[in-house]
This record gives sequence, structure tokens and C-alpha cells, in this order.
Amino acid sequence: MSGSSEKKTAAVLGGGSWGTALAHLMAVSGADVRLWMRNDERVQEINEHHANSRYLKGKPLHENVKATTDLREAASFAEVIIVAIPSSNFRAVAYELGEVVSGDQILISATKGFEAEHLTRMSQILREETCCRKVGAISGPNLADEVMDNHPTATVIASPMDEVIEKASNLLAGPTLRVYGNHDLVGVEVMGALKNIIAIAAGVCVGMDYGQNSLAMLLTRGLAELSRFGEALGADRMTALGLAGLGDLIATCASPLSRNNTLGRKLATGMTLAEAQADSIKVAEGVNTTYAAIKHASRLGVDMPITRAVHALLFEGYKPSDVLARLMSRANRYEHSEVPIDAPRLVEGSVMDTALSVAARNRGW
Amino acid sequence: MQNTLRDAALVEVRSRVLEACLMQSQLPSGMPLDVLINDTLHHERKRLETDRKSPTRAEDFAYWDGIKHRLGRSSPDEVRDILQTVIGRFTEEIRGNFNPFLYGVATKVMPKALPVLLNAMSPKRLFSRGIPDISETIRIQGDVDALKKANERGTVILTPTHCSNLDSPVIGWAIYAMGLPAFTYGAGLNLFSNPVMSLFMRNLGAYRVDRGKTAPLYKDVLKEYATVSLELGQPNLFFPAGTRMRSGQVEQRLKLGLMSSGLRAYINNLQKKKQNPNIYIVPCTLNYHLVLEAESLIEDHLQREGKSKYILLEDEGSRPRKILNFVQNLINLEARITVQIGDVIDPFGNRVDTDSGVSLDRHGRTIDIKKYVTDRAGDPVHLPQRDRVYTQEAGESVAREFLRHNVVVTTQLVAFTLWETLKHRNRGLDTYRLLRAGDEGAGISVGALVERILRVWEALRKREQRGELHLEQGVVQSGDAAAILQQALRHFGTYHAHPVMVRRGDRVFCEDMKLLLFYSNRLRGYGLEKELEPTLKEVT
Repeated sequence: MSGSSEKKTAAVLGGGSWGTALAHLMAVSGADVRLWMRNDERVQEINEHHANSRYLKGKPLHENVKATTDLREAASFAEVIIVAIPSSNFRAVAYELGEVVSGDQILISATKGFEAEHLTRMSQILREETCCRKVGAISGPNLADEVMDNHPTATVIASPMDEVIEKASNLLAGPTLRVYGNHDLVGVEVMGALKNIIAIAAGVCVGMDYGQNSLAMLLTRGLAELSRFGEALGADRMTALGLAGLGDLIATCASPLSRNNTLGRKLATGMTLAEAQADSIKVAEGVNTTYAAIKHASRLGVDMPITRAVHALLFEGYKPSDVLARLMSRANRYEHSEVPIDAPRLVEGSVMDTALSVAARNRGW
Repeated sequence: MQNTLRDAALVEVRSRVLEACLMQSQLPSGMPLDVLINDTLHHERKRLETDRKSPTRAEDFAYWDGIKHRLGRSSPDEVRDILQTVIGRFTEEIRGNFNPFLYGVATKVMPKALPVLLNAMSPKRLFSRGIPDISETIRIQGDVDALKKANERGTVILTPTHCSNLDSPVIGWAIYAMGLPAFTYGAGLNLFSNPVMSLFMRNLGAYRVDRGKTAPLYKDVLKEYATVSLELGQPNLFFPAGTRMRSGQVEQRLKLGLMSSGLRAYINNLQKKKQNPNIYIVPCTLNYHLVLEAESLIEDHLQREGKSKYILLEDEGSRPRKILNFVQNLINLEARITVQIGDVIDPFGNRVDTDSGVSLDRHGRTIDIKKYVTDRAGDPVHLPQRDRVYTQEAGESVAREFLRHNVVVTTQLVAFTLWETLKHRNRGLDTYRLLRAGDEGAGISVGALVERILRVWEALRKREQRGELHLEQGVVQSGDAAAILQQALRHFGTYHAHPVMVRRGDRVFCEDMKLLLFYSNRLRGYGLEKELEPTLKEVT
């Protein structure tokens, strides 16, 4: 590694809006940053005009962000490497990265998604494809455009290793960005990915002109789904209530800037998935994530009605109104235990009690 | 460990631990020395109050009373001295003893003694053929060469699975048989209580570990002893499960305390610029047809897991005297113990190339593992929080290796088949109710059982071909389901107080559901249950 001990060095892989914004943030807080991407023209634009007009129109970039198409140069330059590549392409880039990194470097995933096949998290892919062990993820209510406009916000850096959290937060924290650490890497990544599903649903809700009550119900029950799914994967329940869970959920669902939200609003107008995606250059991760979550939900024994509804909307050709009707006609339940309110329950330990309560119910009490 | 080396190690451990105590006491949030001693004292007194069987109980009580007395009116310098004696006492207690003469005797006697103890020898055979060689009893397989090479290139930590008190002598002998030097290992106090065993233990390089001692200072001393011995190039043996597996499963949750000393020793070696700094972890599995203490292990497991759900009805006093029963029931049994050596990994859990000793990533690219522990300037440093994560990941690798190198034997295969069959027949019952219900005296027809054994075998075979486990040489390899059943029935019928299962006419009956569960548990963790559900569910 060529970085000297005084000068902070970082690299970002992926020149999309979030990758570019992260590079800019770190440059603002005093680091030399290499931003890797494949597109020559954009590299040139960033290096000469300090702008990424395709993804962050009208937002000037810090001049310490140097773009490059040479992965080896970017990777060997930095102590901390943030990977912000769409999940569909993540593994391929991680494999290439594996050729050029060494075990002292820190790798952080900024991508919110899963690999559908085995529900692999992005940080797991980094572990699998490289020799690096100092891995983590960054997540939170961080819409790239707002970050570039210096609106104050906070982010979570998750890793089992304190060292990763400390070094990454040194690079990122600044006057407009607070950093929180979390050891629950699983929870932070799962929340970051799943919230995109709810964001699509929220977009549909807004697109259908429903008001705040509807949106609030969706968010709250969506959060319950996130939390259940996370727990089944070993996440800490509290993480759902933190910045990477609730925080990100609110930001994504409320903002017209969010891609997943935008996608939802288009679906609400009656567009199909293909039509809705056709006129967007940015990848809506929620689509992949919905597919992955449904693929694994029953295996994990998690009930995900909202996610199932989004799945029906995206892949099964259902209309928003049908899906909504189905959701609303579900049995009414107890809020935390998910037990249907009107179904007779077995009374544990007493056949008499069970029989009596069923009889009472049958009489229509 | 040679005695000279051992003494050097003890001195080093004492000074390291004392220095650490002093250093932390200087910190604003550190523990003052007298508080540290009091804390240790408190842990020890609590232990002594409950542990009434300890042979050194009275002496220990007196010692700690004395410490308490002295501590009350001591100057800071004296407090330091007291701490030194406490640390000294702990190190003396765990010290091993290597007697080259006795080691020679032991390894000469063991090949003869072990088969008599372990093997399936009828008295008749014993007289007609003489005492058999140990190689008939213990089969060592796997990459022994890789283990030897690792031992030459660096320092080895051998980490076997643990299900029986016989594990120590078995692995001890296996180490000798492979032509490796004596390993240092921490053996529980109970192994020292039997005078014969104790002699062997001490002289095979064992040091004493008292699991009853909960004082953090004691644990630090213990861990540092293992660390120093590794730094001195002494190969070590850890049972990463910490204790025998009660459930009969292949251990998946490991105790990482001792394993972390591997990484610590590695970093110390780097700092000292040792020529061969590498530490290699070699997992291995010990595979028995029958487990000596199966009855008490599963009993203990069910009590712990079930808590209130499970109420013991059997008369505890009727349990046979273990060893006597063991020897009696061994007669007529042709069991072999398979020691399966796993693949070499580094203290971070990476695969190691056998020939070069270099660590590899999943794509076979070489890793410079030094960089995992170096700081910005490129110097190796300890960072306990980071190192705990590394050790945990190494532990995950060891657990994976355990599953991969588990050797399936007939008893486990048949027990698994029958348990799962009964579970489906009594669907809806949880484990504890199923234990009571058993096969309801109905048994299962031999034909149906053989058919099912074949199905389970096919699923296992598929996994073996994918390198996920091993099938035992001989009858399990052959896939002859009838022969597998026959061998299992023979084992199950002759060993335990109650036979696990018996054949009457053309039906097989389960006689001991707990043991059935115990032996079937060895095949958990491979996803067999779900895959075989449709096959085993069919009504007989």
C-alpha cells in the first residue's frame, strides 16, 4: 500500500450517483480519493470538469476525487475501498478486485441488495471473492442528491471489527454527515436491501393518491416484515429501529428522489415493470430484492405479505388495485404475535379450556 | 513439552501475566491490583463452596483464607507480591510434565493396552491369536502427509472433535503412530483423577485444566501458557468444543478461548521475526461406532436442553458402573475407531496449500497473511477485538471441516434412518414426546428399514462425492443396506446396558430412544432431514 500515514486514502468502485457522492464526501473530509468506473468519457468529465453529469447533474465534485478506469491503480492506492456496484454486477467486480487487494485493506459495501440464489449479502461476496477480512457495509438515510447538497444526515457503518468502523468513519464523517457504528453487519445489510421493497410499495401508494394514513400503515407494517426477516437471518431486532432500518425506510419512502419509490409510482399508473424500467438509467435494486426475498421467505419461515404483494405486482402481472384489495382483506391479527384475531386458539396445557373456548366461539359469543 | 522448555514457558507466562496486570492497573479505568486479587479470590471461594469433591478443597480454602488475611494489611509492594504468588500458584497447577522415559514406556504399552480396552475382542480370540496390534483398532486416514509437512514448516494445533473420555488416549496414540512428536494439551482435571490415566496424561505432554475455575485471571494464565508453548514451537492439541458433545452431534459451536492463542502466538512470532512463524490448525474427527459414555451424555443433554419439559423417571441409581460395563460389553465387538485428519488451515481460517504452506483464498490465489495483522507502517500488532473476529472466522472454518471430515459409520446411519422414520410416523410430536412414545412397541419391518437405509445411504453417497463427508471404509462404503443394518444391530445389541435396537423375527424394535437420538444426531447439519422427508414419510 502506498498511502502514507498522514494522508488519508480511499477508493470507490462504481461511478453511479451514490458511489460518486461517497467519493466526494471523503474528499471533502480530507482524503485523496480514486473513483473507479469503466466509462472513459465519464472519467474524463470528472477529472477535467469535476462533475458527473449523468448521475449527479449540476453537483460539482471535490477536486481530490480522481477518476480512473484502472482497477489495480484505484485499489492499490487506498487503505479503504468502498464498493458501490449494482448487485447484479457486484460479484464480477469483487472477483477482479480480489486479484489486486491484500489482507490489510478494508472493503466496504455501499450496495443495498442480495444475490438471489443463496440470499448472499454484498459483504459476504467481498469475503468470498477476495482475501480481505476487514469488511463492512455502509447504509442509512443517504439519498445521493441530498448528500451532495450538504443536507445534514447520518449513516451507519457496520462491521464485526472496530477497526473497520473506526477507519471508515474517519474518512466519511464531516460537518454534514454523522457516522454511527454497528456490529450487526447482517442486520444493517438486510435492512438496507429489504427497505427497497417497501419503497416500491410506498411509491405505488403515493401514485394511487392515498394519503398519510395509508403510507404510515405501509411503513410500519413494512418495518415489521423487515424486522422478522432480519431476525430469521440472525440480525439484531434493534437494528430495524436504527438508521439503517427505520431511518432509511423513511427517507426512501418519502422521497421522490428514490429510484424504488419512482418505480412504484410508475407502476401505480398502470405501467408494467418493463415499461417502468425502460426510461430510467438508474438501477432500482428493489426489483431484484423482491425476487430474492420471496424466493427465501418460506424457507426461513417468515410471513411477508407486503413483499408478496410487490412480487405479484412486479412479476405476476397483477394490477395495483387487486394487490391492495388482497392485502386489506387479510385476516386481522394481533400486532406483535401475528396471530389472527378471530381464529380459535389452542390453550396450552388444557384440552378442557380449548374445547370450551372453541364451543363459545361456535355459539357466536 | 520437554521439561527445560516447560520451565522456560512457565517463567515467561508468569512474567507476561504479571506485567499485563500491572499495566492495566495503571489505566484510569483499570482494575487495581488488590481488586483483581479479591475478584480472583471471590471466584475461587465460590467454586470451593459448590465443588465439595475437589481433593484439594481444604488446602485451597486455607490458601485463599491466607491470601485474604494478608491482603487486608498490605502495602502496594506487598500486594504486588501476593499477586505474583497467585499467578505462580495457577501456573504450577496447570504445569505439565514430560518424562521422556515414561513417554517411551507409554507409547510402547499403549498399542497393547488400548486394543484390550477398546477392541472387539472376545476372550477366546484373545487367547487364540494373541493381543492384536493397535492398527487393527484405530484407523488413521486423511492427509497425514499434509499434517507432517505443516509440523515441519511451522507449529501445529490439532483440533479434534470430542465425544468421549477415550478421545485423549486415542488421539495421543494416533499422534505417536503418525510419527509426530508428543503434543502439548490441556486435559480436564477429571482425566487426572484416575491414577493410571493421570500418569499417562502427564507424561504424554498434558497440562491440567480445571474447568471449575472461573476466575478470569486463571483463564488468562491458561491461555497464555498455550500461547507461549506454541511460540516455543511446541505443537498443541485443543478440543475446540471445550467439553464432550452431549448431544452426539458434530460440534458446530466452538469455544474460541484457547484457539485464539494460535493467532496470538503467530503475531508474537512475527514480532520476534521468527524464521518459521506460521501456526497451522489441523481439524480432525474421531469416529466411533459406539460411544463409551453415550447414555450419560445424552441424558445430560436432554436435561440441559429440556429443562422443565423433561422430567427424569428412570432410577439414576440403577445405572451400571460405566467402565466395568464398558469392558464387559465390548466383548464380541469388532469396532474400529477412525481418526480422520482434515485439511490444514491458518489461524484466520484460510485453506493452506499442502506443498508450499502458503494460505490460499477461495479462488486459489495466494494470500500474504501477515497483512491481516500489520498496522499502517507494516508492523505486526495485536488488536484483541480484531483478533477475536479472526478467531471466530477460524472457528467457523474448523466447524465446517468437522462436518466435511465426519466419517459415517453403520450405527449412526441406521439410528438416523430409524429416528427419522419414527418421527414421521408420530408427526406432531416434539422431540421430548417422541422420546417417550418410541416405536410404540410396533417396530418396523426389516424390509422397510433396509429400503430406507438404502435411501439415506444414497443421499449420503451424493454428499460424499461432493466432498461434504466420508463414508467409513468397508460395509458403509459398499452400500449393502442389509449388511449395514446387520452390523449396526450387532453393535447396538452388545454394548449398551439396554440395546439401542433389536431384531425379533422380521421386525426391528427400538429399545432406547435416547440412545437412538444420540447416534442419529451425528448426521445432523447436512440437510438430510428435509431431503429425505418424502421418502421416509411413506406409510409402512
